[in-house]
Amino acid sequence: MDAELAASGDASAFERLYRTHVGRIHSLVRRMLNDQDPDEVAQDVFVRAWQKLGTFRGEAAFGTWLHRLAINVILGQRERLGIHRRRYHEDDAMLETVAGRRAPVEMTMDFEAAIELLPDGARQVFVLHDVEGYRHEEIADMLGLAAGTSKSQLHRARMTLRRHLDR
Amino acid sequence: MSDQWTERLSEYLDGELQDEERAGLDAHLRDCAECAAVLADLKRVAIRARALTDREPAADLWPGIAADIGATTPSTGVPAARRGGHPGRQWSFTMPELAAAGIALMVLSGGAAWWLHPSARTNVGVAAKPPAPAIVAPASSRTRPRGYDGAVSDLERVLAEGRGRLDTATVRVLERNLAAIDSAIAQAQRAVAADSANVYLNSHLADTRRRKLELLRQAANLVTAVS
Amino acid sequence: MFPTLVSTVFSVMTLAAPIDTTVPAERGQRLEANVFGGEIIVKTWARNAVRLQADPSSRTEVTISSVGSTIIVRSEGRRGPASAVDLNLTVPVWMALDLSGVYTDVTIDGVRASLEVETVQGDVEVTGGEGQVSLSSVQGSVTLRGAKGRIGVHSVNEDVRVMNTTGEIKAETVNGEIELEKVDATNLDANTVNGDVAYDGPIHDGGRYALSSHNGDITIGMTPTTNATVAVSTFSGDFESDFPVTIKNQKKGKRFDFTLGRGGAQVELESFQGTIRLVRPGTAASRQDHDNDDDRDTHP
Repeated sequence: MDAELAASGDASAFERLYRTHVGRIHSLVRRMLNDQDPDEVAQDVFVRAWQKLGTFRGEAAFGTWLHRLAINVILGQRERLGIHRRRYHEDDAMLETVAGRRAPVEMTMDFEAAIELLPDGARQVFVLHDVEGYRHEEIADMLGLAAGTSKSQLHRARMTLRRHLDR
Repeated sequence: MSDQWTERLSEYLDGELQDEERAGLDAHLRDCAECAAVLADLKRVAIRARALTDREPAADLWPGIAADIGATTPSTGVPAARRGGHPGRQWSFTMPELAAAGIALMVLSGGAAWWLHPSARTNVGVAAKPPAPAIVAPASSRTRPRGYDGAVSDLERVLAEGRGRLDTATVRVLERNLAAIDSAIAQAQRAVAADSANVYLNSHLADTRRRKLELLRQAANLVTAVS
Repeated sequence: MFPTLVSTVFSVMTLAAPIDTTVPAERGQRLEANVFGGEIIVKTWARNAVRLQADPSSRTEVTISSVGSTIIVRSEGRRGPASAVDLNLTVPVWMALDLSGVYTDVTIDGVRASLEVETVQGDVEVTGGEGQVSLSSVQGSVTLRGAKGRIGVHSVNEDVRVMNTTGEIKAETVNGEIELEKVDATNLDANTVNGDVAYDGPIHDGGRYALSSHNGDITIGMTPTTNATVAVSTFSGDFESDFPVTIKNQKKGKRFDFTLGRGGAQVELESFQGTIRLVRPGTAASRQDHDNDDDRDTHP
């Protein structure tokens, strides 16, 4: 198992793990943080993973462990940049700027682009809930919110993004 | 637009409303085409989110990572000394051991696995199990028994190679559940190690491993179906 | 528009939204429907015809065709991935169904024929089903009511519930509970890894009832006069019973057998670390809820 090999210092095994998981980690970083270089943060994730591999017990799947670590790194980034709770207050004005008629572009890019334009709070809750599948209780815990705030942010994100679906 | 109803639509969609509230919104939706349309849109958004695919970065980040972790270049590097690595697999069932527990596993190449049940399980005081039908393997596969471990790694490889084709939420669900089964297997293994003649523990371990194989097979089917 | 009744074979019809079309069906025909995302909702009526209602977006195409003995409904993206579409189908009660999708919820009400449903991220909710019934989801829950025959219900991450159903039943999940209420099984195989299993129903002579979990509790409704030979196995769990039982064949570790009544059925109750309990019939569900303190971590 590559995770076991990497944990005992095998860098080639770790490179294989990187190749397997980088798409998913990089996409997660990109969607969660839209004002930083995703390459740098993704790199940080893997470096941190290498450092912490000694604590990976092998009973859970490596991908799940890495994913959780990535979220911790991402949330750590938020704190370092001083992104505070005020972002989660109702902010209709910002949401309205994302509106607009859909241009006839290829659907995948369009929807992703719309996600990246959401305000931070709504976007992060949306990514964690609808894209990554976490529950509100878990998201509230991770982001330091009340579960109710998480639910209302999710709703706002969805209401905005519905305008960017095809018709 | 009835705001008090619209605001609850996401919670309704996610099944988070209490019975009374849900019933109230059910009734409202029957009469309000606008809210019904919004609900349909919200569902489309949620589905679209789950279907997002992952993209790799344009640049190869590995050289930067390798430099940061102090690794030598992959092709020439010698792995660093082991730092308390994992002990490796402590217990693996050989086929004679499985047969002794009353269950045999025939594994075919390509990662498919079929179980053949014996006609009776020797458990004191319990009537014999009625014979289960033997399941026949397709003629096209090479019939070279490789054992449980071989089947698991075949399927894990299919999953590792193809997981990028699955959406991230499905991958998480599969990984969580494989982890849950792995944890159960580990517990059962420890129990068998302490009491190796225990028929229940042996068959529970075998059953749990079978569940893992089935889930891996299901995951591999999903991956190949999407490719 | 009805095609002529002389022949029910028709080539692929691509339908313009909003769709409301009805095609004739001959006894013995089956229906296959697949949508990538959305809902498939099936109701029944007394006509020998299939009605399809849907409102796909402009980027999604819905087709209906008849190939031999199968009526096939599909949704596809015109360019790129399909978007979600809800299919509302009204079918004859006798029509066998094969429904599938990925991000698809499936609801069926009233069909009395064999059913095969497979989805990945979606819930399956069926009332009806006769003969061979096989329902499966990975991420979603599976609920079946009022079925009869050879039943297979599978989830991975959620609960499986079967009610008011008769026949040979196999119920499996990994991270969920299995609830079998007012179920009359002639043979039963219910197993999960992380979750409880509860069965409350008749126990037939000659039947085999195997309930097992790794982490969860096993609850079964029985009385001292139920005719069954019961084998209980656990590693670190407990055994409780609403009435006294005489244990024989106590094996090393927590395993033992006992016989109730004439011992006609074979009952196997196994939980690696949960509690195995015999309760008065009719109380299994409430006893399970009462002791379920949500200490099970359903989302590790």
